[in-house]
Amino acid sequence: MIRRLFREIGRAPVRILTSVMALALAIGAIGVLAIPAVSTNSLRDAAEADGIPQVIVPIDDSKTFDVAGIVGSVDNVDRAEAEVLTFVEIDGRTTDVLGVDFGNQEIDIVHADVGRLPAAAGEVLVTDGLAQIGDRFEIPLPGGEASSATMSAEVVGVGGTAFWSEDDVVFTSLESAAAIAGVDGANRIVVGTTDLSADALSDTSRDLRAALTEAGITTTSLPFTVPDGHHPIEEAIDQISMLVGMLGIVAGLVALVLLASTVNTLITERTREVAVMRALGAPNRQMRRRLRRLALSIAAAAVVLGLPLGIAISNFIARMILTEFVGITPGFAVSIPVMVGSALFALLGARIVAARAARRVTARPLAEALRDRNGSPFGRRLSERLTARVRVGALLDRTAVRNGVHQRARSFAMFAQITAAVAALLIVASLATTITDYNAAEIEPVQWGSRTFVPGPGLDIDASIADSDPRSEVGIDIAGELEGWETDLVGFAPDTLMIDRTMDAGRWFAAPGEVALSTGFAERIDVEIGDEIDVELASGSHRYTVVGLHPDSGRSVFIDTSELAADMNRPGMGNVVMSLDEESPAYMTGLLSVERLTDISEDDSGRDAILMIFTAIGAIVVAVAGLAVASGLAVGVYERRHEFAAMRAVGGRRRHIFRVVVAELLPLGTLGIGAGLVAGWFGGAAIMESFEASNAVEIGYTFATGAIPAAVGAVVIGSLLLGGLMVRRVTRQPVAVTLRGAA
Amino acid sequence: MSPDPYRVAPPEPHASPDVPRLTPLVQAHDLTRRWGRGSSAQLGVDRVDLNIGSGELASIVGPSGSGKSTLGALIAGIDNPTSGSLVVDGTRIDSLSNDRLARWRGRTVGIVFQDFHLLPTLSAEENVELAVQLADRSVHRRERRERSRDALASVGLADKRRRLPTQLSGGEQQRVAIARALVTRPRLIVADEPTGSLDQASGHVVFELLAGLTATGTTVLFITHDPELARRADRQIEMLDGRIATHTAAGIDMSPLVAAGTIDEQVAR
Ligand SMILES: Nc1ncnc2c1ncn2[C@@H]1O[C@H](COP(=O)(O)OP(=O)(O)OP(=O)(O)O)[C@@H](O)[C@H]1O
Ligand SMILES: [Mg+2]
Repeated sequence: MIRRLFREIGRAPVRILTSVMALALAIGAIGVLAIPAVSTNSLRDAAEADGIPQVIVPIDDSKTFDVAGIVGSVDNVDRAEAEVLTFVEIDGRTTDVLGVDFGNQEIDIVHADVGRLPAAAGEVLVTDGLAQIGDRFEIPLPGGEASSATMSAEVVGVGGTAFWSEDDVVFTSLESAAAIAGVDGANRIVVGTTDLSADALSDTSRDLRAALTEAGITTTSLPFTVPDGHHPIEEAIDQISMLVGMLGIVAGLVALVLLASTVNTLITERTREVAVMRALGAPNRQMRRRLRRLALSIAAAAVVLGLPLGIAISNFIARMILTEFVGITPGFAVSIPVMVGSALFALLGARIVAARAARRVTARPLAEALRDRNGSPFGRRLSERLTARVRVGALLDRTAVRNGVHQRARSFAMFAQITAAVAALLIVASLATTITDYNAAEIEPVQWGSRTFVPGPGLDIDASIADSDPRSEVGIDIAGELEGWETDLVGFAPDTLMIDRTMDAGRWFAAPGEVALSTGFAERIDVEIGDEIDVELASGSHRYTVVGLHPDSGRSVFIDTSELAADMNRPGMGNVVMSLDEESPAYMTGLLSVERLTDISEDDSGRDAILMIFTAIGAIVVAVAGLAVASGLAVGVYERRHEFAAMRAVGGRRRHIFRVVVAELLPLGTLGIGAGLVAGWFGGAAIMESFEASNAVEIGYTFATGAIPAAVGAVVIGSLLLGGLMVRRVTRQPVAVTLRGAA
Repeated sequence: MSPDPYRVAPPEPHASPDVPRLTPLVQAHDLTRRWGRGSSAQLGVDRVDLNIGSGELASIVGPSGSGKSTLGALIAGIDNPTSGSLVVDGTRIDSLSNDRLARWRGRTVGIVFQDFHLLPTLSAEENVELAVQLADRSVHRRERRERSRDALASVGLADKRRRLPTQLSGGEQQRVAIARALVTRPRLIVADEPTGSLDQASGHVVFELLAGLTATGTTVLFITHDPELARRADRQIEMLDGRIATHTAAGIDMSPLVAAGTIDEQVAR
């Protein structure tokens, strides 16, 4: 087989190598489908190595670090550890501080990549990029306004855990963190369980809350569960994976068309050669076997080249996803199913296509096959005779159109490739416009200029603090659960100025027990105005009546702050100060974390990361499709070189031949653009729809009409350039030299 | 049309039967076509000197591989000589660029190939029309169609003009090719074994058609393996190993004279 391949390569090096490269690229493109597997594998490895927690329970000060004594007897709890979470300001940036029991950790194990774990008081370990080993900083300690006590911290290591890999974190001992947070015990319990399933965890988290309440410890927000030992970001990655999968399917289709057309051409090209051998007495069966073997050996060579390419593509993009979204630099991973699948795809596909083509080639009557140079002559099929009847348009255009009909398989392949490329371009572009619009929609109702938080997970701000300031308001922002969805419960005053209260339907809450709901979320969970909803809070289940639907684009329940505080057993309190100004109000002192609207609206990093990934995948699809079109065109022009030479013999110039080539390509391009726009529209809409379904929010869909001229331009300019290049190649030789090879 | 810098002689009026026959239409001097270099070089045409007069019927014969097709291709302007000079119809075509040469071909020469080379996707009529269009864009569509029909009628194919090449016999295809060659009213027609793929009867028809064109002053150069046909030409050129072996015009062997370059054909006559 190898020897035969080499012999073939020796005979027509460029054509064979192009086929191999095209197939290899097709196989490589299927590697896109391996991206999700590759990235989740890396994530799971990281999660397992670090002992990812299954349940995380934010609590008020436990006054003790012995949390195992409190929750150790709860069903399904295997191990429990105390943590202290707070924040400090380093170089003007709000940075999380996590206190853990170094050396005794089994959950969320902190490791040092450089340096060592903290051992003495005041020693800290930081996440990469935050500070250098040996750096020192002064951390202010709480103790009232007059206090000037600080803790002097020294960086002894750089590292972290998979769970915290997205954030900037300072890791230190439980005691140091407790001192910084001003608590006497833990304010967070992490739990490892025996049964990791989502259902079991949901029960466990309820039992944990009960156990804590019994011990007199308040849970300030719903426990956070991490089912199945997966990294929490995996869910987000899954959504991206679905998108990747969509584009992977486009890439697969492109690859399929490329495979079929490459193998077909490879075999049809040998019609005459096969006919000669048949004439010399070679049996048809033997010829068919030879042709199939040829196709298989080329496919095998392509697999050898294509698999590493696919592995490289999937790892490259998986790495992009993980470093952008998770901050983990993944190891090298290989998806065996995708590898085996793409190899089978190439070999089986080549075999099936080759078998069909070989049957066709050997079934041709010998005399006819010997006479014809390139496959069947024009005019045999009814479709060809019909198009020949159409006598409108310039003669050169007529030959172009008729040739397109004649070579219908190749025309279809080129059309399909252009369609795929345009669709991929538009899906990526529509993703960009949709995310941009969604981001804008997300902050559109917002009226506040800043939100100020204090350390600690509870409702620790006295609501009366803002009473005399008309430009600020104490509110609440906590997590709850509604119909199985994690939901934001947002407390406002009934007459708040901090959010635009224009409703999609109904009205803003006014009386006790009334709430407003995000429109998109309400639709997804089938809730209407007047319905009662049961919201699960850390303090238990609470029933409210929906009186209005708000154009908020998240999953939010809007409720009166004082009512929510009471329902949380902290009447008169809140956890956030909203202000119409960019700065937090002057009455807020001490350690603060300030979120500014301008920072949010200017932050495009999330969108840019998604776009970068999809641009990379889109580029692969476009490259494969472009190559496929180029190779189809090259074969088409090469096959017709004698025809073009004959045209030149009767006075045709290069531009006439260019005209014919372009006239054949442009209708395909036009149809491809049209179909690509439709496919791109529906593809993008389907992606957004499934995004909406899996998030229960309204995202909307903005089709990137702005990208249409770019797509059209790319197709037109690409066609002209390719056409020019090919025509240049076939017209380089004198007419007589080209025609000599014709007979 | 812009003045053609390659034109070395003033354009002649289209030859008519009463114009003296031997005004040289083709003047080749030291014409050589070689492929490759050094020891592996292949010689197609080797230092050929040749004049062919206007309105002549000239034949080229010779064994296979002797360079007949190569010489024909050079004179028809579909191949470029390696060295030497070639003037056809007053234009030096040995150094024309590709596109100029194509334009020149469209105006000046009609080519008939052994295997027809009709465009398979165009009907007989469209094939002929295309030649008119490529040669001269200024011809109006209506006139183009009329001329094509006339040309097809003159080769006896008026009723088959709508057929595609695949729907025509070999002889009919060759007649379409002749119609395509003559529809532009070229000064010169080069036919390389035009009867080679045809049976004797069709071959005969084709030959008569070509020979008849000289009556309108067209020069016809045809390459053949048929000594019978060759003998009917005004001028017979026999090739061997890329060189002209014998050259007979009006029964006189001219090859020593022409090869020596000592005498002009007018004088010889
Ligand atoms: N493109 C080419 N490359 C190399 N050699 C060539 C090329 N074209 C022609 N030759 C060589 O030039 C010589 C003359 O070829 P040509 O086709 O002119 O012969 P011919 O007299 O027409 O033969 P036939 O009667 O068989 O048609 C031959 O030896 C041929 O091998
Ligand atoms: Mg020949």
